[in-house]
Amino acid sequence: MRSMDTRDLRSEDVRVRRAAVPLLALTVGFVLADSAIVTLALPEILRRLGGTVPQAAWVLIAFNLVLALVVVPAAWVCGHRDPVPLCAAGIAVFAGASSACALAGSMPVLIAARCVQALGGAFALVGCLELLVATIGERRGIACWIAAGVIGTAVGPVAGGLLTETISWQAVFVVQVPVAVLAVPAALTVGGGAADRGAARRGAVQRADMQRPAVAPNVSLVLLSAALTAALFLLVLLLVEGWRRSPAIAALAVSVVPVAAFVATPVARRARAAPRAEIAAGCLLVAGGLAALALLPSAQLAWTIAPQALIGLGLGLSLDRLTVDALRDRSPRVMHAGWTIGARHAGVVLGLAILTPVFTADLRNAQVPAQEAITALVLDAPLPADDKIALARGLSDQLTKEHGRVPDLHPAFARLQLAPAERPAADQLERDLNAQLERAATQAFHDSFLIAAGLALIALVPMLPLRRRVTT
Amino acid sequence: MTSAAKLRAVALPVVAAALVSGVLGVQIANGGGDFTPARSASPCAHRAVTSVSTGIEGLTEQLVLLGLDGAACRLHVTREALALDLAQSRTPTDAQVDALRAGLLEAVDRLKAEGRLPPASTLTDEALDSADLNSFVKAAIRALPDSLINSVLKTDDVLRRTINGLDLRSLLANLNDPDQLSQQINATVTKAVKDALVARLRDLL
Repeated sequence: MRSMDTRDLRSEDVRVRRAAVPLLALTVGFVLADSAIVTLALPEILRRLGGTVPQAAWVLIAFNLVLALVVVPAAWVCGHRDPVPLCAAGIAVFAGASSACALAGSMPVLIAARCVQALGGAFALVGCLELLVATIGERRGIACWIAAGVIGTAVGPVAGGLLTETISWQAVFVVQVPVAVLAVPAALTVGGGAADRGAARRGAVQRADMQRPAVAPNVSLVLLSAALTAALFLLVLLLVEGWRRSPAIAALAVSVVPVAAFVATPVARRARAAPRAEIAAGCLLVAGGLAALALLPSAQLAWTIAPQALIGLGLGLSLDRLTVDALRDRSPRVMHAGWTIGARHAGVVLGLAILTPVFTADLRNAQVPAQEAITALVLDAPLPADDKIALARGLSDQLTKEHGRVPDLHPAFARLQLAPAERPAADQLERDLNAQLERAATQAFHDSFLIAAGLALIALVPMLPLRRRVTT
Repeated sequence: MTSAAKLRAVALPVVAAALVSGVLGVQIANGGGDFTPARSASPCAHRAVTSVSTGIEGLTEQLVLLGLDGAACRLHVTREALALDLAQSRTPTDAQVDALRAGLLEAVDRLKAEGRLPPASTLTDEALDSADLNSFVKAAIRALPDSLINSVLKTDDVLRRTINGLDLRSLLANLNDPDQLSQQINATVTKAVKDALVARLRDLL
């Protein structure tokens, strides 16, 4: 009877652990998705909470900066203390801060809540790695942790866009809460069994020499993440703010990146390419995709597909390979995992720090040629002079109302009282004016995409096999 | 390193480079890099100006468009930059006002040279509708034969007198007030017609 009870308890334990692993992986995915999940919600957040584009960029920067700064110390603490309560507490703080983000009524409150979210997220990330390894073994645990991170990074903007469009920007944060709430008991349950192994491992950690972080893959991760920030953050801004597509359409459009990233890994494994070859190809593809985004021939979404496919393939090939490279044969594992997460998020901050001033200045500079192109079209439009003057007045009002952002010109046309015979000419003029705005917006992002492409190419440099000079 | 290993080391980067070249090649072939806002044409170059409106409104529109070109050419700015500047600034500079007047007068010359100025008789009815004149006077003028009107009133002369008489600074300030604008223009046109008639009578006498 007792042996049957023991067997039942064991099978119950296995079931609980099996259920806990996806929850922990999902938590990793959510935390890493959070660096980009708000990207598509930013225009809506800007509208609801007010503020400027650089302020909105801080919603992204704050999370990534805090995560980059805290994750290595968090890994150190997890390596020297019991990671179970730290992980559970980290997930709980992450969930609480996510709720605070959803309830934020102003930009400063949202940014502060994002900082707390990153603080909890840092402990959740490194703690989840330890718990996954303790539950399903070293190789599978690390692979699961890395895969969850890559998927989270790639899917983040898509999920954020769909949630913003179908529900609201707050939904981006609310959706994380139930998963995190479920992950807290999952971490504690898994941790109960893993504690013994964890204690033994911690002993080993304390005894082992602390190895220095792998510089080359981590530097490449910084640079590649900076470049990928451009791919995800700038492309989304271009689609939503520049081309005035809805967040849902933008989300569908940028879903090419995760799809291509999923395809990349099995293709590379089938080609049996060397890890360095995968990283080199990945960096080339990301750089090429970003350069292609800088050279778009029109504002049709179809033109973004091939560049995004290149970026997605590059992301799938390089990001997990670089992470594996940074972790390979390094001890203690949790510290080196912390370094990779820190490197990735420092890269996002670097990307935003470099690119935000560039594209905001370019957007400002694009206003004059756009206004002149619009003026030329209105002056030469085949419409009666009175309608042209009324339209010019309406367009001026719209420009003033949008405070320097790419304006929605439709209200100015909707207010026009036109004879039915004049309507086709007005409709054509509206299309032409929107085309000029799209051209100006696309041109404003040109330099930023090229700089990001340069960052992806530089990411190749640390991974180049350099011959060491042998001294006799 | 074996040749198979070497091939594996370079194959994927080579394929990646080929894919990137292909995508960039297709984009550049389809105008990638040229997707920029339309550049403003030189205001000093000849521009074909038309209007969908007829009568006085059509003529005024053509004059304004040509006048803007002429003024912008004098000021060494684009027509669009000048239009935006005039629309946005509350106080146009003396140089802008002078250039605009000169541009409008030049526009009259160009339309006359191209034979595109309508005879005065074709504009009389429309002008009288909005003129601040006694109804008997309006009826009397309408009764005059076209040949007489055309011999007495030359369109280019009336336009030049109107342009010289216009207070362009207050006209630009009234751009957002159509009633005030048309009131100002009508008064100036009426005065220009009267002055043209007086001058004609003086010539006859």
